[in-house]
Amino acid sequence: MCNKPETTNKMQDFTNETIDTTHLPKFEEVQFSTLHPNYWKVILIGLGISFLIIGAGIGIALYFNEKFSSFISELSALFVFVVLIILFLSRISFKKKGFAFRTHDVLFRYGIIATNTLVIPYNRVQHVALHEGLLSRFFGLAKIEIFTAGGSSSDIHIPGLDKEQAENIKQLLMGKIQKQL
Amino acid sequence: MMDANFNQPQRQSIIGILVMFFYSLQAYIKALWPILVIWLFKFDEVNKIYFFGGIVSLLAITAIVSYLKYLNFTFYIDQENDEFIITEGVFNKSKTTIQLNKIQQVNINQSLIQRLAGVYELAVDTAGSNKKEVDIKAISRDLALDLKTRLLANEYNVSVDNQGANPINDVLTEINTENVEIPFIKISFLSLLKIGITSNYVKSFFIILAFFISLFDHIKQLTGKDVLEDQKIEDYVDESNVLTVIMLLFVLFFSTVVVVNLVKTIIRYFDFKISRQNGSLLLSYGLMNTKSTILKPEKVQITGITQNFFQKKMNVLELKITQATGGEVGNHKQAIEIPGCNNFEKDAILKLIFQKIPEKGVRLKPNFRKLGFSLFLTIGLPLLGYCFLSDILVEQFPMLDCLVVFYVLFIVVIQFFLFKNNRLYINNDFIILQSGAWDITNKIIKPNKIQAITVSQLFWHKNINIGSLTLHTAAGDISFQLGNFTAIKQYVNFWLYKIETSNSNWI
Repeated sequence: MCNKPETTNKMQDFTNETIDTTHLPKFEEVQFSTLHPNYWKVILIGLGISFLIIGAGIGIALYFNEKFSSFISELSALFVFVVLIILFLSRISFKKKGFAFRTHDVLFRYGIIATNTLVIPYNRVQHVALHEGLLSRFFGLAKIEIFTAGGSSSDIHIPGLDKEQAENIKQLLMGKIQKQL
Repeated sequence: MMDANFNQPQRQSIIGILVMFFYSLQAYIKALWPILVIWLFKFDEVNKIYFFGGIVSLLAITAIVSYLKYLNFTFYIDQENDEFIITEGVFNKSKTTIQLNKIQQVNINQSLIQRLAGVYELAVDTAGSNKKEVDIKAISRDLALDLKTRLLANEYNVSVDNQGANPINDVLTEINTENVEIPFIKISFLSLLKIGITSNYVKSFFIILAFFISLFDHIKQLTGKDVLEDQKIEDYVDESNVLTVIMLLFVLFFSTVVVVNLVKTIIRYFDFKISRQNGSLLLSYGLMNTKSTILKPEKVQITGITQNFFQKKMNVLELKITQATGGEVGNHKQAIEIPGCNNFEKDAILKLIFQKIPEKGVRLKPNFRKLGFSLFLTIGLPLLGYCFLSDILVEQFPMLDCLVVFYVLFIVVIQFFLFKNNRLYINNDFIILQSGAWDITNKIIKPNKIQAITVSQLFWHKNINIGSLTLHTAAGDISFQLGNFTAIKQYVNFWLYKIETSNSNWI
């Protein structure tokens, strides 16, 4: 990879034209699309199943262990409290997730107490995958996974997309990647 | 050979069912072995019908799952788009698409099970993630070789005009065809001595500590006596001499650390030579066994320069250069360390890597809240825990309060220097992150090595306009926390502009 001439060219370009950084397109002003409302149902069902399993486990443990059965009301209150907290946090997380496709990069916003925005330029995308979970498939949803060479912390997973939309996005990304080469 | 048709989706060899069966069985047994062991031990007590029923149903489920896996696993090459497409999954279906020119490696392997079944495994590696993206478990040898050629056909075309495609071949041809140039940098024995006595205190300290602990453990096991028992030490020395003994032990321990460090450094890096070859650097070093590494400037992702106070006075520093790790992120062998350069040698190496010496540009400082938060984590929380437990602990160790004061002072000093040294310098061509308390490291990256950027802000930091930045590269992340968010966002826009307008290859 003959970087040498290229970089010197770039350096010259750079000193020739001064870029006004205040007029660059701003990633922070991008409008994000939110996830499909049905995806919230998928999350709820998934959480519901795990709560049921955990709840049943705790219930059985309480039933057989007499030492704890006197605290049953406190423990169930605690359990309900934890469930509510988790539901609340999941809702925030769901609300906050958003994505945007610009001409040259893809943006993904996520987080609960923090707002994280991950930006991947198309010319750094390694490959794209489309994943359908069992529950999501039932609701006609799919997940787009975008991988870079930066390791798992820099991959974007956009869940809760309409299957057709996901296919379109994948085609769009594949086209973008190809154009870069 | 080339007439095998990969354009239509096809399954693996039929014997693949068997291979998958054994692999799945292996996985299940790995997951369930505690239960199996318990069953075996209690074999007499367990109901035989349940036992054999369990085993039979496990086998049956495995067989069905492997058959379904086999049915649903297909692969083909999409000639129009130059993509390799794999669909797999029984319940969760997934479809992976890989651009042929993104493929870094295709490996053909054979495990014992595969050898018995007479098939091969074909694994495709891209730089995308740390695991193998595609693993075709059962494929005949001819088909595997054929597929490999087809998958890599693209790369061979590319590699005509850029010569970095296959590092191993490159290394071989370069070494064979060219006379090795006279080294332009030789790390002197004196520099190694300087580095040996001034670096890696903490690491060596823990290695020696672990060594002593295991030693005492062995002695305890052999003799049945605890060497470290408190009363014993007091038996040997007078009360008044305790302090001198502690001092003596401390000095002894510290000198052991230094000596071990020195010996390690010299054995590892003796006769360190760097020579130039076709624009690459060839490094060779080692006392017992000489190691050679090739360093391609264009593959360098992160360059780290580490120096502490003593080393600055003695004019030595350590360089750590990380190259693109290919498919295996976390493969630390890709980091190359050059110990004991002086400033002049450092500049020569940096010039080779970057074509010029990186300069520190605009400086970003973290907000004082970063110091506050680190202090809270490292002092506040432990002290809180100590408050709860102090009643019990103080009875046993009366000296504990002194230790706590010492700990707090030590951590405050460390955190203060960590905060003071944490800076991000940005200019048009380089991003330099400075960090560290005692050993101060400057990590240098070029904006076009960035793979992705994360900016992050806690909701209560919105009003005071501070936030964090993470730059993801192929050799790891670079993070700068709680800086001026407006400035960070502006630079992110600028870097995105630079990345997206240039076509230079990042690798």
